[in-house]
Amino acid sequence: SVQPPEKPLQAEEWNRLRESFRSPEIFEEVMFNSMVRCNSPIDVAKSLLTHVAKSKGDIAYNLLVKYLALCVQQGQTSEIRDMYDIMKIRFRIFDSGAYNLLIRGLSNSDQWRMALTLLEEVKKVMIPSRTNYESCIKAASRHQEMNLAFELYHEMLAKDLVPTLDVLQAFFDFSRGMKGAELQKELFGILLYLRENQIYPHKTFMRSIKLWFESIPGGNWRGHLTNIKDSGQCPVCNHQLEDSNLTEEEYNNLRERIIRDVIHGTDTFRKTSPQEFEAFQTFVENRLPFDIVIDGLNVSHIKPRKMQCENLFDAVNCLAKENARLLVLGRKHMLINSSNWKRGIMKEMQNKADFFFAENISEDDAFLLYATLRSGKHCKFVTRDFLRDHKACLADSLTRHLFRKWQRGHQIVFSPSVEGKHINFLPAFCYDCVVQTTGDTWHIPYKDTFEEKYSYRVPRRWLCIQQK
Amino acid sequence: SCNPSEKLDLDAWKKVMRSGVQDEVSETVSERKELSTLAAAREVLEMWRLAGRSVPENISEEQLKTFMECPSKSAKKKYLKYLHLKELHKKNNKRKMDEKRQRRLETEEQASKTDETKRNSFIRLWASCMDRTYGWRAAQSMIFGQPLVFDMSYEKDMSVREVANTVRQIVLSEGCNRRSVDPFHIHFCNLKGDSLYHKEFIKHYREAWGKLLITVTDQCYTDVFPKDKLIYLTADSPKVMKTFDHDKIYIVGSMVDRSIKTGVSLARAKRLGLETAALPLEKYLLWNTGAKNLTLDQMMHILLSLKDTGDWKTALEFVPKRKYCGFISKP
Repeated sequence: SVQPPEKPLQAEEWNRLRESFRSPEIFEEVMFNSMVRCNSPIDVAKSLLTHVAKSKGDIAYNLLVKYLALCVQQGQTSEIRDMYDIMKIRFRIFDSGAYNLLIRGLSNSDQWRMALTLLEEVKKVMIPSRTNYESCIKAASRHQEMNLAFELYHEMLAKDLVPTLDVLQAFFDFSRGMKGAELQKELFGILLYLRENQIYPHKTFMRSIKLWFESIPGGNWRGHLTNIKDSGQCPVCNHQLEDSNLTEEEYNNLRERIIRDVIHGTDTFRKTSPQEFEAFQTFVENRLPFDIVIDGLNVSHIKPRKMQCENLFDAVNCLAKENARLLVLGRKHMLINSSNWKRGIMKEMQNKADFFFAENISEDDAFLLYATLRSGKHCKFVTRDFLRDHKACLADSLTRHLFRKWQRGHQIVFSPSVEGKHINFLPAFCYDCVVQTTGDTWHIPYKDTFEEKYSYRVPRRWLCIQQK
Repeated sequence: SCNPSEKLDLDAWKKVMRSGVQDEVSETVSERKELSTLAAAREVLEMWRLAGRSVPENISEEQLKTFMECPSKSAKKKYLKYLHLKELHKKNNKRKMDEKRQRRLETEEQASKTDETKRNSFIRLWASCMDRTYGWRAAQSMIFGQPLVFDMSYEKDMSVREVANTVRQIVLSEGCNRRSVDPFHIHFCNLKGDSLYHKEFIKHYREAWGKLLITVTDQCYTDVFPKDKLIYLTADSPKVMKTFDHDKIYIVGSMVDRSIKTGVSLARAKRLGLETAALPLEKYLLWNTGAKNLTLDQMMHILLSLKDTGDWKTALEFVPKRKYCGFISKP
């Protein structure tokens, strides 16, 4: 690549540079790219444009867009306006890149209303991107036009665009200290949007929410950061959080979907076979209900140094307290006496729990889900698997959310400190980890860091907000 | 160092851009009617092209419709890139052909100058001669050859492009089978007359489709062959193939699987209660990257080579080199 000059150049100087470049036909393009990268003064870019215009009589569209990018990068509002006028003379419509730049550039200036006009223009030829909306919404809320901002927000939701956390945060930031029941309703609406979609705000977003609540004139809201007890009680306000149970309707719905989409899917033979599944169904029906269903093979790998059947044995012993009815799912190969699977230990375990052995090529996860859901709401399951591939089999996002909620409340996982001698399990959450409200309290789980590394990991920290 | 007389007018380009076109534009604006959606899409594409994105220069009405039916922005982008690359390849091929023709003309010209007559005991008829030999062998295979089945029942598991890719791979397979010393007797089973597969085959073979020395049937292989002789080849099979059996009939699923759909062909074999097998890739190769499912023509090469030599090492040379690091010395 080339280093852009520091000062505007004369035509001859540009010519010289161009000829010394190894592929002169793309010289201008490469030069503009590196100007954008080095954030060169726009006068330098202008002198190149002048040179191009004079020698060719025209400037190619992509060069104009690159120049525009440079102007937007430096916030040269008047230049951006000029560019819009010039490009409009030559072209009826632009590509999405140019629209993005124009909207972004103008929304950050005092000419932000122009950005709204451009957004209307974009709508005529394509669906605007979510960043287009984001720029406009931020511009509107920055200028305290909250009604307009919310109008745009609802419009983008209606177009199935997913708002960034950034834009949601902006609503809280710019509404701080503002009055109005309508506005409050809208912001509560955003919190409910987080609830519906099981989104957890990050720390800075959480702070914006807290500050907004506390700034509502006459609202008397107070926010505290806290950790919820295992019992599901908030230590600050003593409020008991929603439990993780699904409603009867939700539960039945989820069960039917799992059987239809996950187990049968497009072809029952892919995960099992109809005969085997029927045999399993009969097996389960005859022994219902179970309290805990265990993925035997998965559990048998907890400690790699130990024999697999010993791991399973420990787990079964650990879970077989208080007369809990256990079902262990395994594969047929576990019944063959081998170095990892001792017949004696297998026999002993079968006195403490029911066992079902699937074909070696069947997927036992599907059986795990079926047996648990069939046993009823109280039944939990044990596996280290995150079941993401099963969640992905579900057709719509609503069912996927139900699945996640159910999973949070019913999956027993191993406690992270498995170095010890005994196997320990973390109980499933008895409360639901999701944004929730009772009207005069709000409880909002939040992530410590901005980056979300594991979408399945549930945050432990909460914001408790209550009205005095 | 600039003296005032040649001071730069940095906004001179704006004047150039604004001049000359003004009245022309006002004309077109007044003339313009409401654009049809297709024309509007064409216009958007033109702007993308001007912006330097991967967009084909020419796009047919049909392609434009496909483009508009793409469900998402990224699908649109991908489709355009695909068309763009296709166009580039076409252009490059045309250029190469032209150059070749040019060279041939030049050499012919030189040859005519030297005016040297060559003597040769054979008449130059290589291509058709070879075709006849291949045809003879294929005809032999249809009577005495070992059957090899392509299972054409995956159409609903694939996108239109995947079906096209599948057929292309089968055409290649058929070609290499025909040229081999001892060809298989190829069966296309479950091939329905109105299927997409069929349409694509006609596209590739045209009139030759009716003259191919293979067996095409809409019946299932289980109706054509005894069940205990069939072995379904699938990468998902828990059983690994040890040797090539000359008395068995191997089935290959005619499916290209770009989106990951594990276990589809295994499910089919399970449903019909057939024996399955996978190639012993792990046993002979130090696997590097990529899925264990191979293309249909690679399968054909491997099976032909196994049939001729019975040697796994020679056969597995046809696995793409990028997928493995080397052969395991003592399998």
